[in-house]
Amino acid sequence: MAENYSTTYSYSIVTSQRLHQWLKTTLLVFSLLIVVAGSGMAQDVAVGQATATVLATLTVSATAALAFGNVYQGVTSTIANNNASAGVFTITGAASSGIMIFMALPNYVALADGSDRMTISFSSTDASVDTLGAGNPTTMAAGSGFQNINPHNFPAAAVIGAGGTTNIYLGGKVLPTIDQTAGAYTGDIILTVAYTGN
Amino acid sequence: MITKWQICRIPIKGQHLFTGLLIAFFLLIGHVKAGVLVAPTVVFMDEHKRTGRITVQNPSDEPREVTIRMSFGLPTSDSLGNVFVNLQDSGITDIKAATSWVKPFPRKMLLQPGATQVVRFVARPPKDLVDGEYWARVVVTSQEGKTSLPSASAEGQISTVLNMIMQTAIMLKYRQGDQVAHLKLNGVEASQEDTLVNVIVDLSSTGNASYVGMMHCRLYNADKQEIGYRRFDLAVYHDLKRRVTFPIASYTNSGPYSFELFITPDGRKDIAAEYLIRGNDIEYSVTVP
Repeated sequence: MAENYSTTYSYSIVTSQRLHQWLKTTLLVFSLLIVVAGSGMAQDVAVGQATATVLATLTVSATAALAFGNVYQGVTSTIANNNASAGVFTITGAASSGIMIFMALPNYVALADGSDRMTISFSSTDASVDTLGAGNPTTMAAGSGFQNINPHNFPAAAVIGAGGTTNIYLGGKVLPTIDQTAGAYTGDIILTVAYTGN
Repeated sequence: MITKWQICRIPIKGQHLFTGLLIAFFLLIGHVKAGVLVAPTVVFMDEHKRTGRITVQNPSDEPREVTIRMSFGLPTSDSLGNVFVNLQDSGITDIKAATSWVKPFPRKMLLQPGATQVVRFVARPPKDLVDGEYWARVVVTSQEGKTSLPSASAEGQISTVLNMIMQTAIMLKYRQGDQVAHLKLNGVEASQEDTLVNVIVDLSSTGNASYVGMMHCRLYNADKQEIGYRRFDLAVYHDLKRRVTFPIASYTNSGPYSFELFITPDGRKDIAAEYLIRGNDIEYSVTVP
């Protein structure tokens, strides 16, 4: 019985050592990947002959476009900012930093040849700012930013969330006329972001 | 005494921890993949080093067209202490604007997936430039996230495609000669409205360089217990009013409240120490009427 126990014990030590070795190796690889990914705060580090400068970053991206899909002549199409088809912008940067958000919104979308255009409008409640950075307009929790606000005038108190991410959800409305020309209409939505504290 | 169970358990826990970290890492990478990344968030140049650089990276799966332009815009505020940055492309009258004599290269680029491009800035300041700091905004514009809606090929269909265009405006600072960063506290207005304490801090930069630091705000109840704390990155170029709001719904009838302000150039993590011009500290406290 004692012999059996001893055998099992030795095997466990070997297994443990291998796991430790594996863990060390993978953690080293993981650390290197993080350095390559490099999105952190400014800090110069020098060890021996290896140096690395980590720079503060700011990333603004459109995670999802505001998608009205096909619409019909004379039928207004509205998308709320908490709808799955809402536009989603994602801002990634220094956690809790104050940011200025400005959105330039079109008054109409037009055919590529300019032969016709269609009214698009954004109401004073068509945007939400989600500082939890969930990225899903349908699951934004109350109290995690600013809900149903004016996309023409974002609050000055906007910040990048504590997790380093803020999402902006945008709804809107298109109003095709009864004799709207069929075709693909395009327009630009321009989001500008700047830190207010540097 | 270490038992067999304990010996085996330690690495397994580590393995699970590692797996969790790995998942979190790839979630982070997946998140960053969606946009164009710009670093650093402030560009510093001076009379000895008239070139600067930023790095623009496209971690997404599609090529991105990126344009760079110079603009101007400082953090300013309204009378209520709301802070804004209004970008100006023309009609710039601020004598501290460096917009007209700092040029970016290249100004337009197509970034392939995973590609990184260095954008350089060259300053050609006027010869009689007075000592101090001069400013501009670098606006990086990228276009992505087009809808995948089908084109209206069928007769009578109307579809929309909204191009989502992103702009990142980062600060560029050019330093000439000796620089001084100094901040003056013009006043503090504190008031209580129902379940909120509102404070407006009125500041002016009196040096020839911007004041960059941290603003620490604390609210205390009548027993001198801290019931609220706010911290902000602060940058003052000319004049700035900063509003601070504390909810006190949980602390009603514990007044009179007192507000404590501490502003210091220390504590910034986004700017390397070699680029910080150390200004003065400000300490102030007031009882909320």
